[in-house]
Amino acid sequence: MANFVFRRLLLAIPTLWFIASAIFLLSKLMPGAFGSEHLAQQEAGYYSRSDAASRDHSYRLFLKTTGQDLPLFYFSITSAAMPDTLHRVFPERDRAFLQKLSWQYGNPDAAARFFRSLKTLETDLSETERQQVQEHLYMIYSHREAADLQQATAGIAAKLPATNISRSKNLESSARLLASPSGYTYLLPSVQWHGDQNQYYRWLSGLLQGSLGTSLRDGRPVATVLGEAIGNTWWLLLASMAFATMLAMELAILMVRRSGRMWRSTLLPSLFLLDSIPLFVLAILLLVLLANPAFLQLFPVYGMGYYNAFDQSWLEQLSQWLQFMALPMICLVLANLPYLTNQFYQAVTAVAGQDYIRTARAKGLSEHRVIRRHMLRNALLPVITLLADFLPALVAGAVIIETVFAIPGVGRLLIDAVLTRDYPVIVGIVVIVAVFRLLSHLLSDLLYALADPRIRSHAS
Amino acid sequence: MRSLWQIARDLWQMAPAFRLALLYLVLLAAVALALPWLPLGYGPNELDLEQTYQAPFGWAAEPDKPRHWLGTDGLGRDVLSNILYGARTAFAISLPVMAIASLIGLTLGASAGLYGNRRLHLSRAVLAALVFGLLPLAYYGIYLPMLLFSQGAAYSDFILTGMAALFFTLLLVLGLRALFKQLPFLNQKTPFPADELLLRLIEVQTSIPRLVLILVLAAIVPPTLLALSVLLVLTFWTGTARLARAEMLRIRELPFFEAATSLGFTQRRLLIRHALPHLLGPVLVAFSFGLAGLLMLESTLSFLNIGVSTDLVSLGRMIAGIRTNTAAWWLVAIPGAVLSVTVLALQTFSYYVLRSLQNKK
Repeated sequence: MANFVFRRLLLAIPTLWFIASAIFLLSKLMPGAFGSEHLAQQEAGYYSRSDAASRDHSYRLFLKTTGQDLPLFYFSITSAAMPDTLHRVFPERDRAFLQKLSWQYGNPDAAARFFRSLKTLETDLSETERQQVQEHLYMIYSHREAADLQQATAGIAAKLPATNISRSKNLESSARLLASPSGYTYLLPSVQWHGDQNQYYRWLSGLLQGSLGTSLRDGRPVATVLGEAIGNTWWLLLASMAFATMLAMELAILMVRRSGRMWRSTLLPSLFLLDSIPLFVLAILLLVLLANPAFLQLFPVYGMGYYNAFDQSWLEQLSQWLQFMALPMICLVLANLPYLTNQFYQAVTAVAGQDYIRTARAKGLSEHRVIRRHMLRNALLPVITLLADFLPALVAGAVIIETVFAIPGVGRLLIDAVLTRDYPVIVGIVVIVAVFRLLSHLLSDLLYALADPRIRSHAS
Repeated sequence: MRSLWQIARDLWQMAPAFRLALLYLVLLAAVALALPWLPLGYGPNELDLEQTYQAPFGWAAEPDKPRHWLGTDGLGRDVLSNILYGARTAFAISLPVMAIASLIGLTLGASAGLYGNRRLHLSRAVLAALVFGLLPLAYYGIYLPMLLFSQGAAYSDFILTGMAALFFTLLLVLGLRALFKQLPFLNQKTPFPADELLLRLIEVQTSIPRLVLILVLAAIVPPTLLALSVLLVLTFWTGTARLARAEMLRIRELPFFEAATSLGFTQRRLLIRHALPHLLGPVLVAFSFGLAGLLMLESTLSFLNIGVSTDLVSLGRMIAGIRTNTAAWWLVAIPGAVLSVTVLALQTFSYYVLRSLQNKK
């Protein structure tokens, strides 16, 4: 048995590694790092009086502390028409500009040199000088034709006295840039080796040591952020799962009884109907009907009601928790009831035709005893795997429910992280969900083996 | 094909619920197609800021304006036209997505079921060469065109990279194959594990719940309709593939198929002439079930406002409008009812087709 579990775990590791790596790498390929749009805002906000330069500086610092200035993978293959150092250029606006320059003039070295001298020139300028050449600088950044670039650099040279070294350098490098021929260098690939100073290596080694990184939004460890959210989701899922299973079992028993014709003819169509209502519509509908002063205020509307949780006994806390969680749980139970009941019912009817059931009936056992003692035990076997498969699928339902009812759980955390592009949190949630699914599969295998001796002997 | 038609006709005569569902779907499709020419008072994105939160069937309309039959939302957008256009959007997204996903799933699943793990023999040299050939293909076929596109290059450059992609890939594959054939280990035929590969791929993809996967990927790609459709195709093909594989495994053991195999037909002929007609029924069922799921998913995404732009007319967006005014019940009840009834009709349709397919066996 231990052998079986071990093999199962070993097989699951590649899947886990593959999906987590894929999400991590994909999330990094997208242009626009976290916070770059904040930097692009020209006017300072109400609270920050900073100018562009200090914002730029703090952005670089942010990238450095979060390790986002490192190359993504162990190696990178880029076009030879692009400078090698492109991945080190921040912010993204400058990177796009340098990319455009080297593409347009087909010479990455000259483009990089011109770009560097342009940046030195900009930092050396005093405020009044900047005012004078603002127009030309804008022209350089947005030019399309080579002639415009020439004109703009000439304009800068004319406006400013050429005492500074950086200015003459600027002109010189622009001349070299213009002289370089444009060709088909972009067809050649160029391979760079970065060694283990890369983001993927850092992330993976952190993951192996049990660290999921830090959230980009508030700088706290992802494990802490997840730990705060996971409790609510876990109890919500577990409680509604238990309720739904029990209810589905009872309904299936009601329908399989010999006198259950009326139940069958009313329950099955209404469950079919319930199944076609999307979860978010159901949740909103219940919210509007049952937690709304305009109709019927039975339940509190939003959130969890934390504010006075400290001086209460556990009974009071539990009752408050139940008060807030009742409606979300009803939603999840109702949404999952049709599928579960259907599966239970099919499992029970499959057993109902067996010989030993007829024998039990022939012995004169009561209907109740036949169903509970004889049918149910065998019918539950296939359902065990079903339940284990079902628990992770409930996570998707939890996302919707937590958003509608404003419960601070993993689902809402995921939505928030997606909306703000907080990738470490997103990757962390993916890892947690995948591990959760893996564990529940393992659990179902174990339960199945415990329930059915034939499988136990077969596995070992 | 004919048997499907037969099934539809039988069901039409026998089951009133099937008739009702089919009628509703046809009616909805007709309205959605003819929508630009229908005489609606308001467009779906037209704001009427003087009449916000109008209840449906309110008779106190302004005299010089067309009436809002089903009320308005917080910005005065007409509920009726939003529902009709929203249904149109939902089908415009779901139908092509589900068609492409079904096609991919059918192809992959049927070939995996047909070839199994040891029926497709490939030379190891070719396989190894193909793996290496992926490198130039990825560089010239994916990376460079994207770079060219971002820099606004001319058509001639695109054509050049396309030619380079074909040329270098072919050169590498052919050259490496000739080279690898010299090695004794690689110069052998080995069974290609098509079935195992497909199952692994599906397992990796389904290890994350579909909604979570789409939410995560929607954070990565830009919020355009095309990107969302690609995401949906990538997550929806697995169901059809699984079904097609299972059906193919069953068909492969049937006597008529064994007879065809023993007559020495090619695998392609076996697949297209003999297996495909039997696969169509189950795939149709999977298609309409999947379509219902897609409709729900699309409205859920636009309700959460993830992966779609806010000016996309959708049922989910209309329902999300209730958060600002919980007394406006018609913003949930009417679009929710339309959505649920459509899903119900699709599910009824597929339920009956599935049942008669099972009865026939």
